[in-house]
Amino acid sequence: MAWHGKTGPRAPVARAPAATEALTRQPVSRPDGGGLLPPLDDAPGDSMSYAYTTDLAAIRAVVHRYAIKAGLTETRAIDLVLAVSEVAANTIRHAKSPGSLKIWYDTDEIVCQIHDDGIISDPLAGRRRPSLEAMGGHGLWIVYQICDEVELCSDETGTTIRLHMELPR
Amino acid sequence: MWYNKCVDLLTVSVTARESAGEPYTLVEIAGEADVTNTDELRRLLDEEVSQEPRTMIIDLSGLRFMDSSALHALLRVNRSLDRQGGVLALVAPQAAVAKILRLTTADRLIPVFDSVAEAAAG
Repeated sequence: MAWHGKTGPRAPVARAPAATEALTRQPVSRPDGGGLLPPLDDAPGDSMSYAYTTDLAAIRAVVHRYAIKAGLTETRAIDLVLAVSEVAANTIRHAKSPGSLKIWYDTDEIVCQIHDDGIISDPLAGRRRPSLEAMGGHGLWIVYQICDEVELCSDETGTTIRLHMELPR
Repeated sequence: MWYNKCVDLLTVSVTARESAGEPYTLVEIAGEADVTNTDELRRLLDEEVSQEPRTMIIDLSGLRFMDSSALHALLRVNRSLDRQGGVLALVAPQAAVAKILRLTTADRLIPVFDSVAEAAAG
């Protein structure tokens, strides 16, 4: 079963026309049962695209470069690098084939989308604060803490996570 | 574009030191620590923990990046030393490392100092 979660301190912003387009697709249930959300719309055609296997350092360098170019502060660029690295680390832990990273930005935000063939079966994964005694489970939690908005979509074909960071005005 | 270049990103060096007659183990971790080299990091740290030092100081000043799996390696050292009656201190984390320590509140569990001298004295 596919599910799609979305979270963030700010209200979801409709990003026309892509968001409108997505509304015509089959909606899926939200994990918290709070209504229906459309599945993730397609990444813009002009997004930067990278595949990765184990070279997370290269991925971090790419994300940092684009974050600064997009206009994030150094502090937030460091945050985005950590968030992307945590998601990509999950690919190495759980997926059987390479992951892909797409990056795009406009005047409002920078978005990093990570896709791999791993499946997240718990819709609330990363939403509860793990104990420091726990030997894992901090990765996704950190991602939710850091990013302005996180969209997560997982089904039998894999998992797509979209990390949004607002750009300073 | 494909990336599959594997670089040895992590350097760990260990020295036995002394401060006011008290011995301590200084571990310097430099480079980038993530899931791809955590096993190696854990193995090296375990080796030092097995020597049962009373004080272990980990100098993070050369570490540009640390992810949650590397953080768990440090938490594991802290737990093991604690059980053995030893103490762990961290020194001079860079911005990215300080962020994950603060976010996870690991910096409230493990003392963080500005310099090795301060940690050795503390």
